[in-house]
Amino acid sequence: MRHRRLLDGLDEDIRDHIESETRDNIARGMPPEEARHAALRRFGNITRVKEDTREVWSRVWLEQLLQDIRYGLRVLRNPGFAGVVILTLALGIGMNTAVFSVVNAVLLRPLACPHPERLVWIGGYDANIQRDVADSPDFAYWRQHARSFTGIAAYGPQQAAMVTPTDAQQVSGVVVAGDFWTLTGARPALGRLFGPQEQDTVVLAWDLFENQFAADPRVVGRSVSVDGRSVTITGVLPMDFRFQFPMWWQSVEPRPVEAYFPLPAKDVSMGRIVNVVASLKPGVRDARALAELDVLEKRAQEGRRPQFIEPTAGLRVEPLAHKLTGVARPALIVLLAAGAFVLLIAVLNIANVLLARATVRHREIAIRAAVGAGRARVIRQLLVESVVLALIGGGAALALARSALAILIRLSPNAAPRLREAGLDGYVLAFTLAVSIGAGILFGSGPALALWRTNLHDALKDGARTSAGPAGLRLRALLVTGELALAIVLAIGAGLMLKSFWRMHAYPSGFAPESILTMQVRPAGPQYREEPAQQAYIRELLRRVESAPGVEAAGVSTWSLFEGVPFPSDTAPNQQHTIRLNAASTGYLKALGIRLLRGRWLSDTDSSGHAVLLNESMARQAFGAVDPIGRQIATPEPATVAGIVADLKYSQLDADPPAEIYVPYQQGPFFSGVSVAVRTAGDASAIAPAIRKQISGIDPTQPLSKVKTLEQALADSIAPRRFNLFLLETFAAVALLLSLVGIYGVIAYGVAERTREIGVRMAMGAQRHEVVLMVVRDGMAMALAGMAAGLAGAWSLTHLMASLLYDVKANDPATFAAASVGLAVTALLACWIPALKAARVDAVVALRCE
Amino acid sequence: MPTRRPEDRVELLQGTLDVLILRTLLLGPAHGHAIVKAIESNSEDVLQVEQGSLYPALHRLIKRGWISADEGISENNRRAKYYRLTTRGRKQLQVETTKWEKLSRAIARILKPADEEASS
Repeated sequence: MRHRRLLDGLDEDIRDHIESETRDNIARGMPPEEARHAALRRFGNITRVKEDTREVWSRVWLEQLLQDIRYGLRVLRNPGFAGVVILTLALGIGMNTAVFSVVNAVLLRPLACPHPERLVWIGGYDANIQRDVADSPDFAYWRQHARSFTGIAAYGPQQAAMVTPTDAQQVSGVVVAGDFWTLTGARPALGRLFGPQEQDTVVLAWDLFENQFAADPRVVGRSVSVDGRSVTITGVLPMDFRFQFPMWWQSVEPRPVEAYFPLPAKDVSMGRIVNVVASLKPGVRDARALAELDVLEKRAQEGRRPQFIEPTAGLRVEPLAHKLTGVARPALIVLLAAGAFVLLIAVLNIANVLLARATVRHREIAIRAAVGAGRARVIRQLLVESVVLALIGGGAALALARSALAILIRLSPNAAPRLREAGLDGYVLAFTLAVSIGAGILFGSGPALALWRTNLHDALKDGARTSAGPAGLRLRALLVTGELALAIVLAIGAGLMLKSFWRMHAYPSGFAPESILTMQVRPAGPQYREEPAQQAYIRELLRRVESAPGVEAAGVSTWSLFEGVPFPSDTAPNQQHTIRLNAASTGYLKALGIRLLRGRWLSDTDSSGHAVLLNESMARQAFGAVDPIGRQIATPEPATVAGIVADLKYSQLDADPPAEIYVPYQQGPFFSGVSVAVRTAGDASAIAPAIRKQISGIDPTQPLSKVKTLEQALADSIAPRRFNLFLLETFAAVALLLSLVGIYGVIAYGVAERTREIGVRMAMGAQRHEVVLMVVRDGMAMALAGMAAGLAGAWSLTHLMASLLYDVKANDPATFAAASVGLAVTALLACWIPALKAARVDAVVALRCE
Repeated sequence: MPTRRPEDRVELLQGTLDVLILRTLLLGPAHGHAIVKAIESNSEDVLQVEQGSLYPALHRLIKRGWISADEGISENNRRAKYYRLTTRGRKQLQVETTKWEKLSRAIARILKPADEEASS
């Protein structure tokens, strides 16, 4: 610490120096008193010299920083001001923190498994079921022959009726095959994981183990009944293990994976649609893997390997992370941008408040700068003060984000893949810290810049008058203009989302989803292995539900796809289509409120015959302009069209209703589950317990699942959209509020500044309404300029959110107009209040107050 | 002792103080007050140093390793520091001197005609 010693001696050195100088002065003939004064004068400001010297050893900046922070904390003694700033920041930063933690969990954080970067998704797009799939025989062949991968696994959803010690339970699980355990890096918490060749086994997720088996380790190795078969529990997965691969069924079955079953061997050989994930060997690229798979597929097409179903078509290999986030990515990017906008508005608003305050602190600062603090030092201190405020705001933002996240995850846990994992981890904390400091510097630089340009002499001479002057007010007006520009972009974005929602919910008249109860049953177990038993169960179910009190209409339905069917309207020979056959009872269609347009309903006498109904889309596709009634259609057996029913969106709100052929319910395959629909006069959820009781009365071992009103089911079908809408609307609301507060603040401040001028004008005969007009004109000039800039921005930005919209153009003129009018009216209101205040200025008082 | 009226004095250009200190110490070690005196008298009192600014400058030079400080006894019979030029400081002085000569020649060349005009 060489410099410590040097600095310790500094006081002595200086004293010695001044004494020497005094002595010299005395020698020159000055009287001692004067000699000392002259010496001090020549030496300069001793404190400043010491400070400058210490600063040479530059660790001083730390001391000064601490001092600045201490000083910055004094801002808190003005609770009104500090409160407003901290609250604004907490909102602005908190929203960004919340969105970032979602982005972090969904887009940034790698999967918790070995080598997540090597995992790829393999599949071909199937237009009929509208997603990427692979066929199980292909999977088995790839696993045997492909050399690009260290491992390859298949999986698919599996609902199963499990008889646990407590009750019969519909368990939502997955079937897995191949190297699933290796790819996921799973380790059992208890027991072991079943091997690739084992059948009739199950591995429990921790939650199921805890809830249904009372976390009793003795269940490992025991047998349980699953769909009437006896299977062995080989092990239990640890509490923190999550199924992380893409779950396309999440929107239909939003439950976490509770159990893992081996993919039945017969499904592999007979063909079943599966999802395939593989781990590339180090150094192997996606493209090379794809080339190899294409070669393997070619062999199948040439008939060189036996194949029960068509090989997977249009194969693609893409990084798993990409596949996982594919849908959520654009939405999250829009939300990130919206969050940044809100924060920017908050920052502009605070800069505005600080500028207003800077004019009040003008003299304080000028004095500090003049007595030797140095301009740079004062500016630094102002910035530190801002950053201190921003950090406190950031702390509040973390608390806010934490509760916001909890609410979001509770409201819609499946809105984005891995959303449940979102939380405040190290990355989120670092992000919030960086954003807080950045925001602090940004809003602090406004007043700092103003100081840089200040003429200290004028400031000190200024006396009691503290005024921002025209330049200060102009800067503030500019900030508010910017705020409004940002706010209208957000308002338009939110408006477009809102309109999409409205379009999705444009139900036909008479459709009342809130009074329709839906649920799933699946006759499972050995007693229902034969079809007559299934039929009997369904018949009894229908009888009981139809006769339940309060039921207006009820029915069952189950649908399946058939490929390779020709249409009567085909012009070219051998054209093939895929049809969606819905085995629905007439009561089902009536319960949903599907209207008969022409022809007749099917009746029980049609059960074995070949009469079908078409919906409008199907009629149009299969018959074109020809009237289909009484004509034949292949289903694939030839059938006669008995009637046409209206299209109805009864399962997915953000997609067109599917083209369907309705056949008598008795023809349906029931093994994959049956949907039940019940319509009642009032609120459907009220009769749910009674219906449940009726159905479980038939056979208590058969679980009922997804019991909810159709309204709820439809809402669930667009959960991700609702999530985005909710966030974007909140952002827009906060943005509007902040920018209105901003414009109000500037106008009100302007009026206060101009009290004297207004007084003079009124003394000279200006009318009150002229004063109001003057103030409002000033405010609206600001507002309209901001809105014009914002509209131009929105015009070029909204197309980025096109994928989030439904049935609304990104540049929808109506939305643009509505947002503009709405904002203009509220801005007018924000100007009006200070304007009225200006009009109440008493000329005499105003003139006297100076 | 020549004394000048205040208006004849010139304020020191920023940064030049460092060179002047180095030049002064070339003659031998000195303590703070002596350095200022030497600068003032060698410039025939044209250069006015705000004496206090000497100390930050001295510490700056110590930090750069161009001078060093030794404990000694001052003329007031106190413990005081003597500053001496280091080898690196000697080299630096050469660099600075050359730089300064170039600069002053260049400025003089530009200013001279105007100077003559003003005096004529």
